[in-house]
Amino acid sequence: MQILKAENISKVYGSKKGSKQYMALRNISFEVDEGEFIGVMGPSGSGKTTLLNILGSIDKPTTGRLIVDGRDITGLSKDQLAIHRVKKIGFIFQDYNLLETMTLKENIILPLAIAGYKAQVMESKLHTFAKDLGIMRILDKYPYEVSGGEQQRAAACRALITNPKLILADEPTGNLDSKSGKDLLELLTFINSEYRATILMVTHDVFAASYCQKIMFIRDGEIYNELYAGDDKKQFFDSIIDVMSVLGGEAI
Amino acid sequence: MIKLSTLAIRNIKRNFKRYVMYFFSLSFSVFTAYSFLALLENEQVSNAFIYDDRYRALLLVFGIIIMVFVMFFLISSNNSFIRARKKEISTYSLFGMTNRKIGKLLFIETMIVGLIALALGIGVGIFLSKLTAMILLDISLVSFTGDIRFNIAHKAVYITTLIFLAIFCLMGLSGLRVINKFELIDLFKADKMAESNSEGSIIALILSLLLIGAGYYLAIQEDSFLVVGASIPILVLVISGTYLFFWGGLSKVLHLIKKNKGRHYKAINLISISMFSHRIKSIASTMATIAVLSAVATTAIATGFTLYRSIEKNVYDTVRFDMYFYGGQEEVLDDVYKAFERHKIKILDEYTTQRYKCSPDMEPIIIEGREITFDQENYFRVYSESEYNRLNSVARLNLKPVHIKPGEAMFGYPNMIKGLESKINGKLLKFSNQTLKITAVTQKNILAFGAVYTLVLNDSDFDALYRSGDIVVIDPYGEPLDKVTVFKFENPLKFRDLNVKLVQILEGKTGSYRTAYNHYSESLETFGLVCFIGFFMSVVFILMTASLLYFKQIMAAEEEGHQYKMLRKIGMDMQVEKKVIVKRLFPVFLIPLVVGIIHSIFAMKAADTVIFSYMIPVENSYLTVLSYSGVMYGVYALVYGIFYFITKGQYSRIVK
Ligand SMILES: Nc1ncnc2c1ncn2[C@@H]1O[C@H](COP(=O)(O)OP(=O)(O)O)[C@@H](O)[C@H]1O
Ligand SMILES: [Mg+2]
Repeated sequence: MQILKAENISKVYGSKKGSKQYMALRNISFEVDEGEFIGVMGPSGSGKTTLLNILGSIDKPTTGRLIVDGRDITGLSKDQLAIHRVKKIGFIFQDYNLLETMTLKENIILPLAIAGYKAQVMESKLHTFAKDLGIMRILDKYPYEVSGGEQQRAAACRALITNPKLILADEPTGNLDSKSGKDLLELLTFINSEYRATILMVTHDVFAASYCQKIMFIRDGEIYNELYAGDDKKQFFDSIIDVMSVLGGEAI
Repeated sequence: MIKLSTLAIRNIKRNFKRYVMYFFSLSFSVFTAYSFLALLENEQVSNAFIYDDRYRALLLVFGIIIMVFVMFFLISSNNSFIRARKKEISTYSLFGMTNRKIGKLLFIETMIVGLIALALGIGVGIFLSKLTAMILLDISLVSFTGDIRFNIAHKAVYITTLIFLAIFCLMGLSGLRVINKFELIDLFKADKMAESNSEGSIIALILSLLLIGAGYYLAIQEDSFLVVGASIPILVLVISGTYLFFWGGLSKVLHLIKKNKGRHYKAINLISISMFSHRIKSIASTMATIAVLSAVATTAIATGFTLYRSIEKNVYDTVRFDMYFYGGQEEVLDDVYKAFERHKIKILDEYTTQRYKCSPDMEPIIIEGREITFDQENYFRVYSESEYNRLNSVARLNLKPVHIKPGEAMFGYPNMIKGLESKINGKLLKFSNQTLKITAVTQKNILAFGAVYTLVLNDSDFDALYRSGDIVVIDPYGEPLDKVTVFKFENPLKFRDLNVKLVQILEGKTGSYRTAYNHYSESLETFGLVCFIGFFMSVVFILMTASLLYFKQIMAAEEEGHQYKMLRKIGMDMQVEKKVIVKRLFPVFLIPLVVGIIHSIFAMKAADTVIFSYMIPVENSYLTVLSYSGVMYGVYALVYGIFYFITKGQYSRIVK
């Protein structure tokens, strides 16, 4: 089943009057099916974050259409978009974006609380996901009291808790050490297989990308290439490195 | 549905530290409003002031100014406060909260905090109401002895509550506007390009300095008529110059400092100046407004204070005697003595003398475009030297006796006009068969008793002119001139009851009378009220402007936090960081304060030219004025200093 359809998405930065216009995305079209785990790669400044923000309706495309779960969201108002986001999309950011004034538990249930769930429902959902993600122990702590890896787990839990159709992750391992990064990637794979959650992950880390089933490469705001994971993980890894070196992107 | 009220209470708890200041200023606003309204309602205060429509109008205008200002202050700091919470608010939005709901949430928060502040402000207001009423009455009445009753001003409670509920609603609406302007995308790059850098404009800088300079130039003119006439242009010039300076000029100054590479490339300057000039656009109007308000407030308080300090002197400059009256001596003197006896107050001295007049021929003089003529209607009160000295010995002015040579005269004129002395000196007074020459002029301390001009003559000249009929005891309408009686007695400014009795005796039975007490209490009422209002207004202005700066900086801290994080990553140590923070925040408080005080110094110069030079009988009255004003400037600076330190502490904590 198709979950996301982008049609000719373009994004121009800079005021219409001002001379400094910059086209960050050019006519991007693609589709995502339910249950896919897709990686988005490309050199720095190629438009990955811009694309993800538009898919998550954090930002609006300059032109083009975006259909999420069968609904065209391009013309929606700010308030309609807010409701659309909480129902359909979960976000995981590079710098976690947890509110320091709330405990991890409160951060996680925030989307549910906003959507107006009953307390017991929130508790039981929290319980399920937190247990699966292994953060039961630290739920009552504040973000600054736990490690980056644990914060990112909590952020992933927050993204999952509304059972979104689509999880968007912008360089989720970018701030983590390799051990925590690996844990998080395994977690995402687990989420993908266990809950059949569709995941779109921006990364420029080849190791992280190798967890995906499919990679979309972006250069200068355009889709440059796509790669599918085969049975051989090593070979997938090598082909990613090949494309990246052609793109001139650095594998950090 | 999530219970918004639960979330609101949590948010308040979580944001407690930030809410403390907000809460404090809100409570203070409520306290101000309540105290003011309660004063209007207070029986003793209304007995003392409200019967006079002028005072009522003064109090009302003052009240409205304060409330309008409080409203702008609250809305403005609330908006800053919301911006400071941008990250939190954007996260709500990111996870599906609609703007309407966020607005509602913030409104509930405002209401919770607001209602508590309302209760606290009114509570403290009630608790201190006795004190505020006492301060007002004490500084504006000569001898306030009554006991102020402690009471709750119901109408004031009611009106204060209504006003603030209305303001809270406006704050809610204005907050909603701020939220609507938030772009979600900004959440992820808030710190990166929130504001654009401005290089400022050299034209704006020069023009602003020219405007202010022109205003100052007009304000320091010696001619009081010119200064009064130019007061509106001065205000327009200085205020527009100030805004222009903050809008365009200040950025240019910073830009020039930046270009001075030697200084700018020192790390601390590099960082702090860049941050400050980045910030300047959003704070320029606030700083300009604060500079103007500080100027108003410091001028108001300095004027009030100076007036207040000069009242007693001024009373005797005007009245000269503890009491005097003319006419009706036979009828009232016995009663007057009895009154003194009954109140057990000693009469130190008294003297009764005939009033004389004369109208010699004298050329009119023209001064400052006005003609001063001498004729039957504008006649002279005339004294012999010995009579004049005797009268002055009863006066409270400690004057040296005068000596007038035969053929000469001393001229006295009550209005002090610059250049008068040189015009009058040497002029001739032509009597029927004798001519006298004016050799001395006095503008102060003359004893005209109903006439416009005064002459003091040598005793023998006086006798000769009386005999020749030049000096007479009837006025131009043929009515005989009364005798005048002057008194000097113990503690003339203390006993209200005695004064009431004396007024009762003298009223209607004498041609005219004056008591120092009456004059003193009238001046105190007016100046005391002006002083009180100046004081009250200044306190409100100082605290509100300072906390507005505080809120703006706290908001800035949220956005700048990430820059410090980066700077730390590239090796900024604690020592440097501390210095950067000082250099970043200090100008924000210092510049408006200094501009405001400089404005005020020039305003006080104008006030000196117009009022104080006539009131304060010293050589250079401006120095006296400055010394009184200086006290107030010091207090102002102190409060700003305290707020600066509070801000620095909070700012440092946020960027950590
Ligand atoms: N708000 C903005 N205004 C102007 N240009 C922007 C803005 N955000 C991003 N860009 C530009 O768009 C391009 C793509 O940025 P981004 O999507 O963040 O790249 P990345 O692939 O590194 O995530 C970059 O060249 C960036 O400079
Ligand atoms: Mg990016």
